[in-house]
Amino acid sequence: MPSLELIDIRKAFGATPVLDGVSLAMEAKEFIAFLGPSGSGKSTLLRIIAGLETADSGEVRLEGERIDTLPPGRRGVAMVFQHYALYPHMSVRENMAFGLRNAKVPADEIARRVEQAAKVLEIEHQLDRKPAQMSGGQRQRVAIGRAIVKQPKLFLLDEPLSNLDAALRMRTRIELAQLRQRVDAAVIMVTHDQAEAMTLADRMVVMNERRIQQVGAPMDVYRRPANAFVARFVGSPAMTLAPATLVGDGDYARVRLGDGSEVATRVPRAGLPEGPLELGLRPEHVRVGDGDNATVDLVERLGERTLVYARLADGRAITAEDNGDSRVRIGDKVGLVIDGAAAHLFGPDGAGYHAEEPRA
Amino acid sequence: MNPRARLSPAALVAVTIGAAIMLAPLLWTILLSLKANSELMRDTASAFSGPYTLENYRAILVGSSVTHWLLNSLIVSLGTTAGVLILCSLAGYGFARLDFPFRRSLFVFVLLGLAIPEQAVILPRHQLFAWLHLHNSYPGLILPGLVAPFGVFFMTQYFRAIPVELDEAAMLDGASRFTLFWKVLLPLTRPAQATLGVFTFLGSWNDYWWPLISATRSARFTLTVGLASAQMNYAQTSGLGFLMAQAVFASLPILIVYIIFQKQIVAAMAGAAVR
Amino acid sequence: MTGGRRDRLAGFAFVGPFLALYAFLLIYPLFMGIGLSFHRADLFGARRFVGFENYARAFADPIAWQALWNTFKLTVLIVLPLTAITLALALALNRATRGAAIFRGIFFASSVLSVTIVTLIWRFILTPDAGLVAKIVTTLGGTPPPFLSDPNLTIPALAITTIWWSVGFPMMLFLAGLQQIPADMYEAAALDNAGPWTRLFKITLPSLRRTLILVIMLQTAAQLQLFGQAQLLTAGGPSGASRPVVLLIFEVAFGRWELGYAAALAELLFLLVLSVTFIQYWAVGRAAKEER
Repeated sequence: MPSLELIDIRKAFGATPVLDGVSLAMEAKEFIAFLGPSGSGKSTLLRIIAGLETADSGEVRLEGERIDTLPPGRRGVAMVFQHYALYPHMSVRENMAFGLRNAKVPADEIARRVEQAAKVLEIEHQLDRKPAQMSGGQRQRVAIGRAIVKQPKLFLLDEPLSNLDAALRMRTRIELAQLRQRVDAAVIMVTHDQAEAMTLADRMVVMNERRIQQVGAPMDVYRRPANAFVARFVGSPAMTLAPATLVGDGDYARVRLGDGSEVATRVPRAGLPEGPLELGLRPEHVRVGDGDNATVDLVERLGERTLVYARLADGRAITAEDNGDSRVRIGDKVGLVIDGAAAHLFGPDGAGYHAEEPRA
Repeated sequence: MNPRARLSPAALVAVTIGAAIMLAPLLWTILLSLKANSELMRDTASAFSGPYTLENYRAILVGSSVTHWLLNSLIVSLGTTAGVLILCSLAGYGFARLDFPFRRSLFVFVLLGLAIPEQAVILPRHQLFAWLHLHNSYPGLILPGLVAPFGVFFMTQYFRAIPVELDEAAMLDGASRFTLFWKVLLPLTRPAQATLGVFTFLGSWNDYWWPLISATRSARFTLTVGLASAQMNYAQTSGLGFLMAQAVFASLPILIVYIIFQKQIVAAMAGAAVR
Repeated sequence: MTGGRRDRLAGFAFVGPFLALYAFLLIYPLFMGIGLSFHRADLFGARRFVGFENYARAFADPIAWQALWNTFKLTVLIVLPLTAITLALALALNRATRGAAIFRGIFFASSVLSVTIVTLIWRFILTPDAGLVAKIVTTLGGTPPPFLSDPNLTIPALAITTIWWSVGFPMMLFLAGLQQIPADMYEAAALDNAGPWTRLFKITLPSLRRTLILVIMLQTAAQLQLFGQAQLLTAGGPSGASRPVVLLIFEVAFGRWELGYAAALAELLFLLVLSVTFIQYWAVGRAAKEER
């Protein structure tokens, strides 16, 4: 049975539309990340699933049951809020038990579930503390614990890592991945951080401008972005997009860039639209070599590799990668070697066209 | 200015003199209250030296009206405080969190009440209460104090400052409207309750004009009205020491409240100024 | 927020009780009072519509003008010294030391007393035969001034009593205002070689402007309605020399039972207080805007 189904959800705040017909089906126990810039509608979608907002039209179903007509507490979902939203005047134990008490769960059952969740989250010694006496990371765990004890069919995580510092964020990311193995439920996480989405999610839902742009496994989305927006948004540093014109003929598209150089791609020529194209290049597919077709603007040394932000003769910015021990310096003339076989093309409407995958 | 810096000597002298002026009347009152009435009749300067006695205080505790007035004041002030806290918490939550028709206009309507001074309504209110036969009764003394637009404003602001995420978390935890109000939000307003409560209690305890015209029978006098009548009739009784002992006795509860809640009072002042 | 119809009902359930009392005990009497001021009415319910007669009478009544003049003198004599004293106190006591905290406690203590107790205390400081001032003056060989019976001294006596009673609240307002001034402004000024007086006049006082307006206006509105001290300490005497407007209203209503005339006087004072309140909102708002 599918877990969550969204059927043509529409929502506007006054005259401002925020969701324009969003549909989605989740597999059982799937971990899905809603990824998108702020204002893309991803948070509103999460709140509609939780029942904190009402959709103007459309349906929300969870394990076959329609839930958008139910109050939030009866939907079988639990949410971890961005700022945790722990009840400051209640102890950790009371925070976790509150929802169960409202649901009239027997006291011994509540105690059992709270103890168990506390053990899993390693906060069993802090059950009698107040949230204010705990660190950010510990509060995060309490917020997760409060969701776990409800044994929901679906977990909703709203930017769960955004309030943590870098070190804690890495650790919590790992913990979330482990947690996910333990709980017997589907998970939706909202994030604007693509690294988070890629490490944690089974599938990503990339959103922009009120719509779903692409749904797919992280590596599929990375390798075959549906359109120019997804191409730019997923991957760091972002994919370089450069205007290109189709030249010559053959089975595969061959394009000319603004500086006159030509790139032979493995994108089938058949099916490409008329009109101007854009060539998409991930940094790892542009290597620094000998030559002088580009000028270096900025060098970012990451240790194991070096990112080189350079400019072609026509002024077009392009991001390239070099070895960790790269000697390239700002102002240097370098020769960029483009791996055309890995390049992407985007049509005038932004739609993406990709190289034939040899394995596929 | 460095908040830790010491006062200059000149300023210290000035402040000390000021403090002496603030304290001298209080000490003088206490000294008078500790003297026998007959001695004060001859010369009040006798208060500067002994013998001192607690006789006047004993007279208050056995069979004076003061204890009765004290009880009336306690009933009226506590009743008013409880009523204001309940009404303002409910209204504050309603205005801050619930959506209902004319919410904004009604809130502005309440704020307008801040500009209406007591003297503008006290005469017609007196008539109204006469029609309702509420004079010389506890409800008659308590009800006008319950109309506290500032309290509603204050509680509304406080509820607004609580993150809405908490409401949402509670809704996902299956809390009803009432559970959300009673178990989640209301406990978080405790500091505001303390501040509003202390101020309401102080104001009600010290209120003079309304009880003066509403409680005309000695049995319903509050302390302020009772002491006013004792003060007016002092020429006949000539018990100066006794009168001053009443003043000290009547001040004790409020001074105790002040000492206990000094922090809230100061915090409330800060809040009022920032607004 | 969700909930729709049920929220609408819930909203009224929460704000309803207060609004009902508010409408019945504040707004209704407010309009009742305006109506009353157009009637000749006594306490027993007899009333006759007289139009603006009560107002015309007020403007022609020398006693009313005397009361207004007294109120004006009292307000000036209280508000100006009170503002200066409390500002100075706040500047002196805005320190984190234990001594400053004790002084603050002392200066605020009188504010929690009721008007009855304050007048009781000050009566036996000011009376010429038995008061503390009289005892001190006689010891020094002088004649004690008749504070409570000399028409030239009653208003100053009321002012002194009121100032003693009222220093706490404005001092706290100023202290709170001082706390709002960011410390780095003083640090920057120190780096700019500003001396203590420069800092006071160029940083502290300009930053306190909003509080200063607030204190002056709140106190003005309060003292325009001064009542208990005059009623208890001087009974407005001698022959009305210290009778403020509110005491006159009280006497007309509950001594002479002329409710309609008293109501008209009350409405006129209400207009005066209201204009002060609006000036306050306007001035504080403008000061706040300029600070931004």
